[in-house]
Amino acid sequence: MVTHPDRTEPLRIHGVHYLNARPLWQAFADGAVTMSREHRLVLAAPAEVARAIAEGDADVALLPVAAAASIGGLELVPGSAIGADGPVRSVAIFGERPLDQLDTIALDLSSRTSVVLARLVLAARGLRPRLVGATAAEALSRVGGATGALAIGDAALAVEGRFAHTLDLAAAWKELTGLPFVFAAWFARPGVLAAGDGEAFTAAKGYGLARVAELAAEHAEAHGLDAASLTSYLQDSLRYDLDAPALRGLGEFFARAASARQLPRSAPSTVTAPVATGPQHAESLDRLLSRAADGDRLSGAEGVRLLREAPLFDLGLAADAVRRRKHPHGVVTYIVDRNVNYTNVCTTSCRFCAFYRPVGHAEGYVLSREELAEKLSEVVRAGGVQILLQGGLNPDLRLSWYEDLFRWMKREFALGLHALSPEEILHLARIEELDVRAVLERLRAAGLDSVPGGGAEILVDRVRRRIAKAKCTSEEWLGVMRVAHHMGLRSSATMMYGTTDTPEDRVQHLLKLRELQDETAGFTAFFCWDYQYEKGTRIAPGDGGTQLYLRTQAVSRLMLDNVDHVGASWVTQGPAVGQVALRFGADDFGSVMFEENVVSSAGTTFGVDAREIERRVREAGFRVARRDVRYAWLTEPS
Amino acid sequence: MLDSIRDKVRRGERLDAADALALFCEPDLLAVGALANEVRERMHGDRAFFNRNMRVEVTNVCVASCLFCSFAKLEADSPGAHTMTLEDAWRELEVRMDDPPGEVHIVNGLHPGLPFTYYEELLRGFKRIKPDVHLKCFTAVEIQFFADHYGMTVTDVLSRLREAGLDSMPGGGAEIFHPDVRSRISHDKATGQQWLDVHREAHAMGMRTNATMLYGHIETFEHRVDHLMRLRELQDRTGGFQAFIPLAFHPDGNGMKNLPAPTAVDDLRTVAVSRLVLDNFAHIKSYWVSSTPKIAQVALRFGADDIDGTIVHETIYSAAGSTSPSGLAYDELVRLIREAGRIPIERDTLYNVLREHPRAALPEAAAKVRDRERPKAKRRLPVTDAAADVAVDSTKESSPW
Repeated sequence: MVTHPDRTEPLRIHGVHYLNARPLWQAFADGAVTMSREHRLVLAAPAEVARAIAEGDADVALLPVAAAASIGGLELVPGSAIGADGPVRSVAIFGERPLDQLDTIALDLSSRTSVVLARLVLAARGLRPRLVGATAAEALSRVGGATGALAIGDAALAVEGRFAHTLDLAAAWKELTGLPFVFAAWFARPGVLAAGDGEAFTAAKGYGLARVAELAAEHAEAHGLDAASLTSYLQDSLRYDLDAPALRGLGEFFARAASARQLPRSAPSTVTAPVATGPQHAESLDRLLSRAADGDRLSGAEGVRLLREAPLFDLGLAADAVRRRKHPHGVVTYIVDRNVNYTNVCTTSCRFCAFYRPVGHAEGYVLSREELAEKLSEVVRAGGVQILLQGGLNPDLRLSWYEDLFRWMKREFALGLHALSPEEILHLARIEELDVRAVLERLRAAGLDSVPGGGAEILVDRVRRRIAKAKCTSEEWLGVMRVAHHMGLRSSATMMYGTTDTPEDRVQHLLKLRELQDETAGFTAFFCWDYQYEKGTRIAPGDGGTQLYLRTQAVSRLMLDNVDHVGASWVTQGPAVGQVALRFGADDFGSVMFEENVVSSAGTTFGVDAREIERRVREAGFRVARRDVRYAWLTEPS
Repeated sequence: MLDSIRDKVRRGERLDAADALALFCEPDLLAVGALANEVRERMHGDRAFFNRNMRVEVTNVCVASCLFCSFAKLEADSPGAHTMTLEDAWRELEVRMDDPPGEVHIVNGLHPGLPFTYYEELLRGFKRIKPDVHLKCFTAVEIQFFADHYGMTVTDVLSRLREAGLDSMPGGGAEIFHPDVRSRISHDKATGQQWLDVHREAHAMGMRTNATMLYGHIETFEHRVDHLMRLRELQDRTGGFQAFIPLAFHPDGNGMKNLPAPTAVDDLRTVAVSRLVLDNFAHIKSYWVSSTPKIAQVALRFGADDIDGTIVHETIYSAAGSTSPSGLAYDELVRLIREAGRIPIERDTLYNVLREHPRAALPEAAAKVRDRERPKAKRRLPVTDAAADVAVDSTKESSPW
């Protein structure tokens, strides 16, 4: 997605540290490859490799093909791949019954490519088992009766022959299409490779394949596995050539996945074009917009292109079309709730925040029970249905304080508790030396109903480090949401743009949300807003303006094809813009706010009551209904 | 219906009243906006105009009792009533002479107790301070009032004021022309026909004027269409109108405070329909004081090509509860336009280009040119543009004053 390569810097090659990838990168590790310029090898897990190239931290990456398609705009390096032409052994569905007798399959979610392959194979066989996400160990532990598991990599190799039935997915693919399957290949940012560099990757493959037995033996010894079996796996099961049949197999996979709306449709262009410039712009903007309106899954590169280039109206119309398809009743919802900031004492000192006070500051506060009771009573009297409870990271408030508070609230008031953003949950985990799940379990037992999606800002660490140094990383934020979703808690998702972030960063944020949503389906809704610059904040505003807000919201609606609801952030944009935003993909008007201390300390204050919200929604051409935190209608639309 | 309207617009055919009504009733706001944007870009490309102006309201004493007005105080001695001395009025400009506005825009209540010479002197005084200042003063309602009150013809009033320095006329006081509405909301001032006649007279004398419409109160879409049609007819005959400015009704503190203000969707639609219907008006202005700066920015994609000016100190809309700031810094207007992906053009009152600012490369890149420190919204005095990358680096060199 990043376009201006600097060829004077060393080429950053990122590889996956798995054994089956090693034949492709061992030559780089050993310094046995000559290229047009200096190069450096970095090894990591597939998700991190994908992140690195998407965020411009890597130039060439050994990517799972699904990740390459999601990022978009990358060039396929010819010659090498990790694939299989027939059984692969390391990607399989295991069960005690035949596949067609399984009603549930637990999916090891560590490889999106394999998950998509499993879905395509199941669909082609007319099978519709319930698919549930899990870790590798969890998935395998559930095998039995009518439940099977998709296992990947070492986990799959380790259980070979243990279960009565095994469906090798590469073999199933071969049977389905007659083609090899490609799991991963080298992908480069456009323009980073000079002429001849492509051959270096082919030479590297030759170097690695000549040493397969050595590599297998080393790995077997380190992990207590059988060397002969591993050598056979690398030599016989895997296929490292990206030749014409493999390219056809890859193209077929991308085409089928796009039709099933599992992957962006633009993917094949990266495959059929050799190392060359700009295949991602072969499509007209109109065509891209109409595909987006039709609900095609968009790649990151496509999202950036829309954000940068698409005319405002076209974005609005496309987002409106998606909104209409997802919500065909023409109803816009809102919730009557109250944002209560229980403390302003905070240790993170984010540069965009004017609300917090450091520990010990004279203006620091923690709301008393009396103050809270008054606020909550007002909400009940106003017909409100929940409290949105968020605050600073106050080191004096322990987990037991929250448990007591939640129990008291639930006892005294019939209100939903939408409480504590991921940052606060991580903070509690740290000070209590508990893991996130334990904290969430205790909070839920005390009355937590759902988790607000605040503090996401931009889920790109380069940006986060500049605006909120002390805050959690993107992975930590997503990790809390993953745990919450797996526990059955629902949450919202947010994005605050307009500090130092670029369009690429914003789209990467959306991709990360979409990926987690594929896994958990736990996000109910998405809201975005721009950084509210005012006295007290310590970072200059970046991109902003009302048109950018409308564009960003529309592109979010188009990118987040798996999130049900998009809300207009009238609290930050003002009710006038909030109303217009309903024509740019939003189907929710947020909440009647009694107070919103954080944004209003940064100078944005708007007061709108329920009647006013309803009037604005109707004037925009919709019916209106009140909702609860899960977006269920509490009133008949009118 | 929209399809046939779209065909007409693309063929350059004039829309009729039925088309205009259909556009007001069309549920698909974006379709109407996109069509208006086509016309707007055909006429002006990406250019968006603003100017460096200041508002002076010398008196809020007014014999008229318009229901929508929160500004006027009926009697000279009622609480809150004020009338500036000539010296106080002139001082408004004098104190800004280090960075003077190009235009002084004066609109007042209909004061029964001032001599006509007060107004003549008022204009002469401003011209003494700054001989090349453009004086855009007195709505047609005021001109008609002067004629009635001082026993002169409209022609005489306009001639004497022009003699004293009047350069052009603002478009206020039009409200809604249709008598069914006008008789209910402003029965005791110039009728719709009188308003149009005053402008016809001004145009005949070679004076340029603007036109407005106050919408979103008790009028129907039919009344709005009627209003636009009357303006278009007059413009066909005289060609003297420069810009049309739809004005949103604001309800606080006036005789229609039980009515809600029109919402942003109506604001944008009205801009768009105006652009499509008023094919003989060069400019459609989204007056940011009325629509808020945020919606004015969006309106630059819904048919508007102008967002008015720095204003400095507006009191009429502020009195009716508008939450817009009472003045915007020059840089803020430039930024607002750039963020919309348009090219900011500083103009004079007659739309001569004074300074073309570079556009942002893409809508997305608008902020690259944004000041590191955004000015406070309430800043009143216009400040010199600080953008380092502009082609002309001195405002004074490129300006006619």
